[in-house]
Amino acid sequence: MAITERVEKIRENYVNTKPHISYERAWSWTKSFQRTEGQPHLIRTAQAFYDTCCELPVNIWEGELIVGTSGEYRKCAILTPEFGWLWINDEIDTFPERGQDPYDVTPEQTEFIRKNIFPYWKGRSVEEAFLARTSEATKKIGVDTGFLDTDSKWRNGIGEISADYVDVLLPKGYGGIRREAEAYMADLDETIPEEKAKIEFYKSMVLIADGMTTLGRRYSAKAAEMAETEADPQRKKELEEIADVCSRIPEQPPETFREAVQFVWFVQLGGIIAENPLAWNPGRFDQYMYPYYKADEEAGIIDYDTALELVECLWLKYSEWAWTISKNTASFFAGYTNFENLTIGGRKVDGSDATNTVSYMAIQATRECMTHQPTLSCRIHPDCPPEFMEAVTELVSTGCGFPAIHGDRTGYQMLSNLGYKPEDARDWNNCGCVVPHSRKTFEWTSAASISFAAALEFALNQGRSRLSGEQVSLPEKDPKTFASMDEIIEAWKKQFRYLVRHGVISLVTAQEIHKEIGHRPFMSACNEYCMKNGKDLVDGGAKYNIGPVFTGVGLSVTANSLAVIKKLVFEDKVTTLAEIIDAIDNNWEGYEQLRELALACPKYGNDDDYVDSIARDLADFFYEEVTQYDDLYGNHFVTAFMGISNYLPTGKVLGATPEGRHAKDPINEGVSPYTGSDTSTCLAALRSAAKMNHDIHSGGTLLNLRLNHDLVATRRGRANLGAMLQSYFALGGFHVQFNTISNEVLADAQLHPEKYRSLLVRVAGYSAQFTNLSREMQDSIMARNAHTEF
Amino acid sequence: MGVKGYIMQLQPFSVNDGEGIRTNIFMAGCPLRCRWCSNPEGFMQKEVIGWYRRRCIGCGACASVCPQGIGIDMDSACIAGHSGLTGHEMCIACSACVKVCPENARTRMVTIMDAEDIIHEIHRHRVFYSYSGGGVTFTGGEATMQPEFLDYLSHELYGMGYSLAIESCGYFDFEQVRESLERMDLIFMDLKHMDPAEHQKYTGVSNEKILDNIQKLATLGTTGSGSESKRGSSGLEIKSEGKEGPEIVIRIPVIGGVNNSEENIAASAAFVHEYLPHARMELLPYHRLGAVKYEAIGKPFDQDDFYTLDAEEMDRLREIVREQGVSLADYR
Repeated sequence: MAITERVEKIRENYVNTKPHISYERAWSWTKSFQRTEGQPHLIRTAQAFYDTCCELPVNIWEGELIVGTSGEYRKCAILTPEFGWLWINDEIDTFPERGQDPYDVTPEQTEFIRKNIFPYWKGRSVEEAFLARTSEATKKIGVDTGFLDTDSKWRNGIGEISADYVDVLLPKGYGGIRREAEAYMADLDETIPEEKAKIEFYKSMVLIADGMTTLGRRYSAKAAEMAETEADPQRKKELEEIADVCSRIPEQPPETFREAVQFVWFVQLGGIIAENPLAWNPGRFDQYMYPYYKADEEAGIIDYDTALELVECLWLKYSEWAWTISKNTASFFAGYTNFENLTIGGRKVDGSDATNTVSYMAIQATRECMTHQPTLSCRIHPDCPPEFMEAVTELVSTGCGFPAIHGDRTGYQMLSNLGYKPEDARDWNNCGCVVPHSRKTFEWTSAASISFAAALEFALNQGRSRLSGEQVSLPEKDPKTFASMDEIIEAWKKQFRYLVRHGVISLVTAQEIHKEIGHRPFMSACNEYCMKNGKDLVDGGAKYNIGPVFTGVGLSVTANSLAVIKKLVFEDKVTTLAEIIDAIDNNWEGYEQLRELALACPKYGNDDDYVDSIARDLADFFYEEVTQYDDLYGNHFVTAFMGISNYLPTGKVLGATPEGRHAKDPINEGVSPYTGSDTSTCLAALRSAAKMNHDIHSGGTLLNLRLNHDLVATRRGRANLGAMLQSYFALGGFHVQFNTISNEVLADAQLHPEKYRSLLVRVAGYSAQFTNLSREMQDSIMARNAHTEF
Repeated sequence: MGVKGYIMQLQPFSVNDGEGIRTNIFMAGCPLRCRWCSNPEGFMQKEVIGWYRRRCIGCGACASVCPQGIGIDMDSACIAGHSGLTGHEMCIACSACVKVCPENARTRMVTIMDAEDIIHEIHRHRVFYSYSGGGVTFTGGEATMQPEFLDYLSHELYGMGYSLAIESCGYFDFEQVRESLERMDLIFMDLKHMDPAEHQKYTGVSNEKILDNIQKLATLGTTGSGSESKRGSSGLEIKSEGKEGPEIVIRIPVIGGVNNSEENIAASAAFVHEYLPHARMELLPYHRLGAVKYEAIGKPFDQDDFYTLDAEEMDRLREIVREQGVSLADYR
């Protein structure tokens, strides 16, 4: 079945339109805050949400079945100055023209924002509070450095929440949430301070519920108004249906699949208005949507194609919202990516297979719409049905990069290690990119980015940045005088500990600020235990309060570098540490032969224990070091190896490294091998990565590998891919994403073979490294690929 | 003291020579000299060092350690003054240059390997075989050219529970390798031409022994005459009295200009149908991807006479096979 004309039109608009900045949300929010000076911050936030829901422009766009937008533009990007506005003020004039992720914004809008919105927030934003409370030492190493970064927790809304559709939202509706809050309030005594605080919380719940109810009714009224003047009878009927659905949704629980889809979108929109959040996850969509589909299908009121069209409309809504981010952040998260992570597959809480028709519908919607959202993730368990694996690998073979594929058992172990009960751990969903998460949880899942390679640079450069020469970290002795591997590793640990300390200080500071002025009543309303406990998320209301996550970057670069020093200096004795230091000080210029020797040393990603064991030791140390600290709530910090494109900016700030990398070149993400250094097979790379003890890094681990498209072009090839996935998960791996290779990449590989040493292509009945092939053969393979492109 | 043999390469992640994800063991030495061969380094049971000119950065590390005085360019005559002999001819395969080459431009193309080391490498990938239904494929060169080594490896790996396959040119002493063949789940055997003279012309040997061995495949693993059906018409397995024989796939490398006539394909399929009624056939298109290996070992690449059939032509030939009552195998 092909995509419908309606969806195609929406899709074309999505593909061809630049997102437009809207200040409407920020303006409503600002006006509301001006009216509520002196009230508790939690109430002010909930009131601002309510006021915004009453004022936000209401538009229903051409062809839409699922409605609701965060501003007056169809592809809309909104502002949240209460978190941070300094960077917006600095950059807004360049929004339309910047290279990565531009937004349209008119000069009139810019002037309005500068005149009416920013002045109120001056001195009141989370960002300013953070900078005011942070020491120079911390700033030097941990603010906008690329060595250690925590700014996603004090410049933007937090996000990183999975809405609880199962126990809260769908069964209750916002009307139910309001009634529940009122019932709790009725039993509380305002003379008791603790109960007084709870009353405030429940008042905030009522405001949130009323805001959402109002939003739905405004869309209902708008649709009814449009239906009256609509000439096309077909569209008129659709508008009447929208008016009907939104007259009940989201106040009342949905009763049909169609209502449920609209409900899910309203919840998503509410979260966007509340925080403009990153990683605001729809969660296990196939699990909570299937009952509606099944009931409707049995009752004969929906068929597969009709349901699919609604799901595709939802996919486009997820994608039309654009996250508003700084130029620098855009270099980390290129492509307007906001990580609305939607999980399918896996097992049910009772342990049986969870896949259903909606799981396949989600895959089909992603394949047909080719939208960048939702971030489609799947859970693969050992007894995964072959049809599901086939659908997953088929989607991989389109080269779209979806779904992100996760091992069910490792996800379960990661949560178990954090103290989750089995029934909650089994129900895990993905958050953001590759974080095992739960709808019962409050956790800063991407709190600090910490560079293993920066610690190595400081260890081998007396605590100074190699590029700037500035003393940013702890002093260390002259690197040329290190006498053993142990001494070097100790020096790395000392510097790494220092980075961790400042990360902890930064994040606890940010937590304190959020506890004061970062209340999250909207997100708290999506969380079962906040309601039960009468506490906002920032006050620890959730069932599971998990410590902030440190994401390690540059693991393989660091392990490879240590392996080079170990082998060339201390074992083979073919060079000295002094010479290596001179070489990287000179960015390898004049040391080409030494660089060749360094490049020839064992590299992580080839199933070679010589270097893989170093990587594992570093990763284990990371875990031990980070988890010994407790956060503001008394929960230990957590480790992860994720990070999407942060290997680019974190590489840009570093000098050359001993394993042969040049200054400013990228480092590596997650547990992935350094680009081009996994020169054996894909299987060896999987085995190397699986040696990292994934289960202890409960914030998630990420592995990206490239595969030639040809390898997955046949059903048999895709079956083998499925087997590789199951093998990786059996070995203990958590996540892997296979990028199939386009001819564009192959052309670049011809120009820069040194970057593509590990690029595998299928030759004739086997696979070989592309760069090992002659030019003509490369050309012939590219010609072949052109025939197999989908 | 371990059992050793000549190995061109262990190729993990092989996906076209049997089910699933496999490790191919390329065993050196071949009794044929097919003119279209894409693995010329495997002709002899002799250690070979190759030189990939396009990877070479000319650093000279190889030349500085070579005990034979061979320069960077293995194709030219040696500086040590052995008139007329090229580096390839002078090379004693000591591997000193391989160890120092930073770009892997000098590589071992045939080495002597210990069976235990091979088995260790195979173990590494066992989880991938399990999930994919894969295993190990003996190929070459020609795996049967080292019958004792093949026997040892297949005996050990069979005992460890790996699924085994072999790919052979069919030119061997059947009784010498019968036991090894019995351990296979799948046997690929080539049938390059039905005409003995043409076969002789292009491969250096006549096809009589090969045709004879193809017929003998029917005697593997069955107690009787080989007439016992392994698969019933429903496709379900039917247990025969004795041990089941391996699955058999007769392969034709379709070389344009040599064996691609409809008559030859039809005759080949008819032969298979007559003597191995349950065997399948696989037709593989000719390719020139071995050219770079000729370059590496300093041999001229002389395959201008041959061409690759296009997909439609290949499909027509496959149809001819089917018309003879033989079903097709496809491991693409």
